[in-house]
Amino acid sequence: MSQAEDATEMDERQWEPSILTFCCNWCSYAGADGAGTARMQYPPNARVIRVMCTGRINPLFIVKGFLAGADMVMVLGCHFGDCHYLKGNYACDMRMSYLKAYLQAIGINPERLYWDQISASEGIKFTETMRNVVAKAKALGPIANEIGAYAHGTRQNRSILGMSVFDACANGAGENGSTTQEIAEDIW
Amino acid sequence: MYYGRATDKLVQEQGECGGVITAVLIAAVEQKLVDGALVIKRGESIYDGAPYFATTKEEITEAAGSLHCAPTLSAKLIKNDFNGARDLRIAVTCKPCDARAIIELSKRNQIDLDNVYMIGVNCGGTMLPGPAREMIRQFFDIDPEDVVKEEIDKGKLIIITKDGQHKELSIDDLEAEGYGRRTNCQRCEYNIPRMADLACGNWGVIGDDAGKVTFVEVRTEKGQKLLDTAIAAGAITLKDAPPQGIALREKLDGIMVKMARKAMATQFAQFDGERKFERLFAQFDKCDGCRECIDVCPICSCVECFTKQEFVVPKDTVPPDPMFHLTRLMHVSPSCVNCGQCENVCPKKIPLATITHMVQSSVQGTLGYVPGQSTADAIPLCKIAEVKA
Ligand SMILES: Cc1cc2nc3c(=O)[nH]c(=O)nc-3n(C[C@H](O)[C@H](O)[C@H](O)COP(=O)(O)OP(=O)(O)OC[C@H]3O[C@@H](n4cnc5c(N)ncnc54)[C@H](O)[C@@H]3O)c2cc1C
Repeated sequence: MSQAEDATEMDERQWEPSILTFCCNWCSYAGADGAGTARMQYPPNARVIRVMCTGRINPLFIVKGFLAGADMVMVLGCHFGDCHYLKGNYACDMRMSYLKAYLQAIGINPERLYWDQISASEGIKFTETMRNVVAKAKALGPIANEIGAYAHGTRQNRSILGMSVFDACANGAGENGSTTQEIAEDIW
Repeated sequence: MYYGRATDKLVQEQGECGGVITAVLIAAVEQKLVDGALVIKRGESIYDGAPYFATTKEEITEAAGSLHCAPTLSAKLIKNDFNGARDLRIAVTCKPCDARAIIELSKRNQIDLDNVYMIGVNCGGTMLPGPAREMIRQFFDIDPEDVVKEEIDKGKLIIITKDGQHKELSIDDLEAEGYGRRTNCQRCEYNIPRMADLACGNWGVIGDDAGKVTFVEVRTEKGQKLLDTAIAAGAITLKDAPPQGIALREKLDGIMVKMARKAMATQFAQFDGERKFERLFAQFDKCDGCRECIDVCPICSCVECFTKQEFVVPKDTVPPDPMFHLTRLMHVSPSCVNCGQCENVCPKKIPLATITHMVQSSVQGTLGYVPGQSTADAIPLCKIAEVKA
């Protein structure tokens, strides 16, 4: 077995899902805080982003999260009726069901998006949800299985002999008034 | 529901099926119901129909007749070039996609619908001028420039040449070879413009009347006003459509809808299955980022386009960052009217309309929103469920 293959084998065995988590300031984030203060144990796979309201989450943030390599995205907000801004979680609920259909249509498993409601006092629900979601993410496997190299932004730009014009420019081609000939030489 | 016909002999002759539309337009302009008519006028040949703002009887008459190789869209034109009809009243001939696009733009406050009279024409689909020429050369074996008239009737494309030859071929056969109607038209489920003020067409015209009159359905008060104006001016005659005619029209519509669903299934299937995302991006990655698809889209009307936000779409790469297409899809697909303009203008021939329509048919169920049907239902994602007190 070559070293490269060896490395991917290792990767697969060591792979831990990363879960992008949006928590609303007023309920779920306080719930997560509660779980922490009470020293409840839960898996460390989540990266939590606090937003003032789940109604502020543009569905595109979630799509972008997948492209940035998140294996699952979790959105946690207030229970209906509890929203600090009255209607934010209703807006979120509608967007999440739209987003699931959208994800399905573009070839991302909608199961990778998890939306739930956790109040400030539900530290236990927070830890349980976290455990369940990590288990689900492990069952679903890495996002790269579905969207390939797009998952980490490692897709190559259209290139001239292996290097894109923009990479070439970033590497200094065409700087300081060099001639077209020189730029061409830099690129090729 | 009526059979309608122009009273003027010249209009009758010039018109496609009795010239009722042309007569209604002339009456609307002459009686000052509108300031002008936005019609599609033939240019040098049957392949170059273009939108034209006609304000006289002569100009409107000149534009009579149906052009099936004019895949135009008047909606964005009204928004951009006529200031959204805010300060003048326009009567416009609409294919169902035109009408749906106008309604979507009016919901976005880009067109003042009160000032727009939509005269709908039934539409079984349009063809791109370039491929149509090629098709006529290849399958009919004649010089496409010799064609003086084309018609679509009973699933056949009929052409008439300048020396009087009639030739016809089945549209199904042409489409099997990759020609015929645009792919978005093949998928279109809206063949009768029920969302317009008047819905006109030759479907449902039976017996001796066939070809001589047009079936007219009044859909709104504005539609009634158009007809009343034309009748008062003595420009048209109407008689009630016979029940068999009405039934036939429904039946033909049903057949077209079934065919459209079949076309959707086969066209969407090319992306289905394993690694769909990467197969979609095999198409999107052909993109040079010229943004033409956004310019022509009747749904895109934001002053500040979200795809220009650097925190969403990093700038200056070719192909554009994947978020460019994902953003465009997310913003357009809930309201996409399948007009096909994005795909038609794309210099790289990315099947943009097909992909957008595919996403739209997937999200339509969850949103409970069918775009371009009426102004009564709010644009999805703007509407927040009512909170019970
Ligand atoms: C592309 C197309 C496809 C059609 N398909 C069907 C069909 O499948 N079944 C059916 O029953 N009827 C169809 N029709 C309608 C039918 O051909 C007649 O237009 C209708 O019966 C009205 O006849 P008329 O004599 O009153 O129209 P006219 O008095 O001849 O007026 C027709 C008007 O339509 C305008 N027009 C021409 N081409 C276009 C275009 N591409 N887009 C928008 N406006 C245009 C002209 O400028 C003119 O003002 C179609 C029409 C078009 C334009």
